[in-house]
Amino acid sequence: MSSTWMTTRAWLLMLPLLVVMVAVIGWPLVDTVNLSFTDAKLVGTGGNYVGFDNYTNMLSSSNFSRTLVTTTLFAVISVAAEMVIGVLAALLLNQQFHGRAVLRALMILPWALPTVVNATLWRLIYNPEYGALNAALTQLNLIDAYRSWLGEPGTALAALIVADCWKNFPLVALIALAALQAVPRDITAASLVDGAGPFNRFRFVILPYLAGPLMVALVLRTIEAFKVFDIIWVMTRGGPANSTRTLSILVYQEAFSFQRAGSGASLALIVTLLVTVLAVAYAALVRKTAGSAA
Amino acid sequence: MSALEIRNIRKNYGSVETLKGIDIALQSGEFLVLLGSSGCGKSTLLNIIAGLAEATSGDVLIGGRSILGVHPKNRDIAMVFQSYALYPNLTVRRNIGFGLEMRGVAADEREKAVAEAARLLQIEALLDRKPSQLSGGQRQRVAIGRALVRKPQVFLFDEPLSNLDAKLRLEMRTELKRLHQMLQTTVVYVTHDQIEAMTLATRIAVMRDGRIEQLGTPEEIYNEPATLYVAGFVGAPSMNMLQASITGGKLAIAESDVRIPLPARYANAAREGARLVVGIRPEALRVATAPTDLSLPVEIEVVELTGPELVTTARIGAQRLTACLPPRSQVAKGEKRSLTFDETALRLFDPSTGKALPTV
Repeated sequence: MSSTWMTTRAWLLMLPLLVVMVAVIGWPLVDTVNLSFTDAKLVGTGGNYVGFDNYTNMLSSSNFSRTLVTTTLFAVISVAAEMVIGVLAALLLNQQFHGRAVLRALMILPWALPTVVNATLWRLIYNPEYGALNAALTQLNLIDAYRSWLGEPGTALAALIVADCWKNFPLVALIALAALQAVPRDITAASLVDGAGPFNRFRFVILPYLAGPLMVALVLRTIEAFKVFDIIWVMTRGGPANSTRTLSILVYQEAFSFQRAGSGASLALIVTLLVTVLAVAYAALVRKTAGSAA
Repeated sequence: MSALEIRNIRKNYGSVETLKGIDIALQSGEFLVLLGSSGCGKSTLLNIIAGLAEATSGDVLIGGRSILGVHPKNRDIAMVFQSYALYPNLTVRRNIGFGLEMRGVAADEREKAVAEAARLLQIEALLDRKPSQLSGGQRQRVAIGRALVRKPQVFLFDEPLSNLDAKLRLEMRTELKRLHQMLQTTVVYVTHDQIEAMTLATRIAVMRDGRIEQLGTPEEIYNEPATLYVAGFVGAPSMNMLQASITGGKLAIAESDVRIPLPARYANAAREGARLVVGIRPEALRVATAPTDLSLPVEIEVVELTGPELVTTARIGAQRLTACLPPRSQVAKGEKRSLTFDETALRLFDPSTGKALPTV
């Protein structure tokens, strides 16, 4: 079979998918780019061409920079915590003990829950009048009076990060647990005979096998965390005082709450660009990690 | 005092008894091979010595000190694994020096020890490579280097050559023999390959179903197998085992008219009418040029030239036997010939117990 025919056949087979992708992603993207150069409102006429005004206004606004910082904080802290907790959970669940299978299944639950359910659950836990967290901390004498964890700018973002971690660490744990199964028993045994303690064993023996899969988890989770919308919308709607407003919330507010479709489109494209840069950088990292592990 | 002493080691996995009381004492510098088929318990025993598995009962002593319950790193052992078990992200230099690094040995001392091991194993040029950049044979040398550099009291090898191709296996076998002769270290080596066992060992423990079937020098194991299992397991092609009985003071080969004299050394052990198994190594057989008392009339069935020898399968009555003849022997399929052997090559076994008959 000639290579030309193979190439043609491959393209033919991919064609239906490409058509669907162009229809549902390509066309809206092009439309959004067009929209971003106008002052169009959400309803009404197409608006006037304003060049790069939407972009320059958005990039120079304090709203954008503050939101970018909030988004970055949310993404970095929650993903870092998820990675650490996920790996620790995987290491524990990789040990031999009775009830391990049950615990492994239970661990998946938070991740399997719909985000809205998870967010509602945590709103109840954080409730300033009857929330479990307030009850627990008061009874442990760690706080004097009930607090509004989601109502105070100083604690709202941290409370959201905890809720997000709880939901997403199982994914990291699952990926790490699968990678741990691939660590050859002989290498672990060799490190024991060589005298490596738990820390060195993790660093020199286990981590090289975890690095590749964890990098994939890191890429997925960072991109998701950067785009976060649902959990924040359900729990705080970006408040209080915009302290938990992330870029996706800002896009929503700009386009739908303030009905500035042109400006919202430009912001959406800026976010897309940032996420693309992240994705490309991480893809390069994944390739490098995979290359060095080979 | 023994360098390594294994006292009545037993190991149970649930209701399954994997090791059923193993006793071995090794002097310093001995090369013990644990030989047996898969599932006989040889690797379990090695792991118990290494501290990677716990014995259910019994004791293991190294240099007179009990090491049960002692962490593997404090047992003064080094181990080479079948899969090499090299650390994939470390260079060869750090792989070899890893044990010393973990023990806090100073960098310059470590470097010296690594260089010495690399020189012994002729891998100096590979020190800055990663394991993924090495061939199977090179990886195995690095794994051996990692063990050597620690200068332990006992070296443990778990089927170290099994992952190598036939040619490399032969090279590494010779290399291991050379190293052992040079360093005179105490070695426990697990394999299912009887050629490795025969060539490397100073003593072989043939294991079966969690027990030692026979413990002896390679010569003893080969020439005086204690049981039918050992006789069949060691040697390729394996020992011929002909069903026979004592009839009129002679060995009557079953389902044939062949009678051969009963060797005098078995005179006390074999009684008239007893059923026996006659064992003769294929390489002890040769084509008879003139009729003798020890002739076995056979019909040639298959002739296979392996290069150094002509492996001949023949029928004697209803039974088959194999002879390893010189490559230029004039035998052909369908021919009726007589094979003969020296009386000393004949072994007798009791088929009911599987044990060799005692000699006088």
